[in-house]
Amino acid sequence: MSENHDIAVIGGGIMGCAAALRLASGGMAPIVLDRGDLGQGASGVNAGTLSLQIKRVRLMPYALKGHEEWARMGDAVGFRRTGGYTLAFTEREAELLTERQTLKAEAGAPIEFVTNNQILTAEPNLTRRVLAASYCREDGYANSSLTGQYYRGRLREASVPYRERCAVTSITRDTQGFVLHTGGPAIKARRILLAAGAWLKPVAAMLGVDLPVDARINTVSVTERMPPLLTTVIGHATGLLTMKQKGNGTILIGGGWQGRGTPQEGRGEVTADSLIPNLSLAQFALPELGQARVLRSWTGFEANVPDFYPLAGELPGVPDAFVLGCVRGGYTIGPYIGRLMGEFILGHSPEMPVFDPGRDFEKDAT
Amino acid sequence: MIRLVPDHSARIQRTEKVPFTFDGVALMGCAGENLAAALMQAGVLHLRNAPGDGAPRGAFCMMALCQECVVFVDGQSVESCRLTVSSGLVVKSRR
Repeated sequence: MSENHDIAVIGGGIMGCAAALRLASGGMAPIVLDRGDLGQGASGVNAGTLSLQIKRVRLMPYALKGHEEWARMGDAVGFRRTGGYTLAFTEREAELLTERQTLKAEAGAPIEFVTNNQILTAEPNLTRRVLAASYCREDGYANSSLTGQYYRGRLREASVPYRERCAVTSITRDTQGFVLHTGGPAIKARRILLAAGAWLKPVAAMLGVDLPVDARINTVSVTERMPPLLTTVIGHATGLLTMKQKGNGTILIGGGWQGRGTPQEGRGEVTADSLIPNLSLAQFALPELGQARVLRSWTGFEANVPDFYPLAGELPGVPDAFVLGCVRGGYTIGPYIGRLMGEFILGHSPEMPVFDPGRDFEKDAT
Repeated sequence: MIRLVPDHSARIQRTEKVPFTFDGVALMGCAGENLAAALMQAGVLHLRNAPGDGAPRGAFCMMALCQECVVFVDGQSVESCRLTVSSGLVVKSRR
């Protein structure tokens, strides 16, 4: 027994699910497969920051659209538009802040530079040693741990079948399209979309394609519940800190500090060498953190290619196969670029350009 | 009260009483005694405030699970039910 689908999506994270939903609304019959549970990779373990101040300039139009998507998803994903500050503590950081945030503002993000007085009025618990800061009213956060449950509900509503704990072990072709071999019955699909995040490389290899996908191992920590200390999301000019206090009082600390491990080996590990400076920077920004205990630190894999731009388009050399992933700021942009990818596969011309996975990755690494 | 076993409480050997402080207030407790118990004995029940609504909290489970008896000692947050009294111990509340 096997099933036939218009398209099989491998990877049930934000991008895979959002693409499947768009494909279904466009009249295709997709199926979503995940080796684990939906939204339990990077989509479900990241720090949940939705900040235009940490997006790449060229991706800003996508990030702005991403923010709209998150606002629409609202309470179901724990969305809060709190506004956010990015801080600089030294002259060098202040220069970096001015340079980077000016470019981002020019790219359409409503970012403004603020005075120390403004920031201390808004966030009185921050250190007095802020030299310069920028503010973006669009910034906020969502609760990444709700991703899986949210998309499971959306897929069910749209009558899109999904299989969890269904790892694809090999892919063959037949006259109709692709045959996906799993532990259970084979799944047949006319088209295929690879959206396996940090696991894109081994999945593409099943089709004989070598994608130069690498993974960053980002660390996130959460503290015990604290009295109200922050109302906005806080970042650092270098990008090495994100911090926000959730409604229950816990404070989430991220910033892309690197843990250890590879997607092939499992979940990845936290290392003291990167965790300690991460927490120190957080505590420098918010001295009251000195009173807080860290409850848990963990890592998540963020996939990328050498030019750090997305893969979103046709899988090179394999007709009817598509790939979506490696989006810097993928949590923010994911719901939108997933929808774009759906439109692309449906044969519509997407609202914004997609990103050819067959490009030369050594060029334009700016 | 009907005792099923004889009352041996008079035979409990208490260690020497030593001074310690809680938010600057001088208290006495038996050296080596459980800190949460010694605070209770000294009449201190209110150890911290709940982070949400600020309501008073004090020792509840006495086995380091509930986190309601957390205090500051040596700049660290620790469950007072996991500490023992020693001479000169400085305890600060999270009130």
